Amino acid sequence: MSESESTADGDKWGIAHVFASFNNTLITVTDATGAETVAKSSGGTVVKQNRDEASPYAAMQMAEAVVDDVKAAGIGGVHVRVRGPGGNETKSPGPGAQATIRALARAGLEIGRIEDVTPLPHDGTRAAKKNRL
Amino acid sequence: MSETSNKVEGKRWYTVLAPEQFDRAEIGETVAEEPNQVVGRTIETTQGEMEGDQGQNNSKLTFKINDVGSDAAYTEFIQYELTRDYLRSLVRRGASKVAATVTLLTTDDYRVKIQPVALTTQKADRSQEQAIRSVMVDIVEDAAEERTFEQLVDSVVEGRVSSAIYGEAKEIYPLRRVEVQKLSLEARPEEVEAEEEASVDVDEEDADLE
Repeated sequence: MSESESTADGDKWGIAHVFASFNNTLITVTDATGAETVAKSSGGTVVKQNRDEASPYAAMQMAEAVVDDVKAAGIGGVHVRVRGPGGNETKSPGPGAQATIRALARAGLEIGRIEDVTPLPHDGTRAAKKNRL
Repeated sequence: MSETSNKVEGKRWYTVLAPEQFDRAEIGETVAEEPNQVVGRTIETTQGEMEGDQGQNNSKLTFKINDVGSDAAYTEFIQYELTRDYLRSLVRRGASKVAATVTLLTTDDYRVKIQPVALTTQKADRSQEQAIRSVMVDIVEDAAEERTFEQLVDSVVEGRVSSAIYGEAKEIYPLRRVEVQKLSLEARPEEVEAEEEASVDVDEEDADLE
């Protein structure tokens, strides 16, 4: 599958946790249990301006950077868990989510299941005034 | 780039295997420095992946590692759950969703929580919803009464419980779909026993107060 790194045989599956808010995107790639982190990245590692941290462009750069580490660890495919801010904030993932998945696939990782794991309250705390109906 | 990557050397990969009930299929791999770090980790797969057919990816199975060999980790089943997007796709406007939560003991003393859901074709009356709910609870309780934990998990995963509910509850109101949205292991026999012993102590204290 993979051609690049030294130890890479690339037959294992991992999980790519993608937290995409409207202010930042965090990518964490772990093993299949989610207990061992293989690689991680966030918006601040690739852009200067704070407001660009959530941009699709930043997400692409991050994904590319992450893929090298992932392949070096012998992981050739990932299941994706996308998550927005959730709770009493927006339930939908931000702009970085789509771009991340695309970039991961483009960089040669196999993409398995894609699942939304945004935490949803079964009725939690009171929302901010602007979000109240 | 991240400090985690260069530490991978010196760690070992363990192949995670499903319980016997699921034919000891390989579920995935995990890394750790020490074998005992692996115990307690959980791993999630879909039913389709376990059985090797792609049509059944609407339910997730969660396993917990409880034993480690030299390069293999052994698991026990802890949870069955419908995926969120599948459940959301079943819910329609103008139709009722009847849900119930039942906690019960199997014949081999595992405490299990089962949550069946039924979706109707049109809006059902409250009385009909209540009737459907009581049918669901009865069937689930009956199913647990004569089954061990493994058999119960099997009949839920294979969909036999939900089709039994469908068969009976469709007499009450036309149903579109019945599923078990979640089955989770609450306590193992040892834990149930420990609780029972503890509860006796409480009773004695109450008696003293009177």
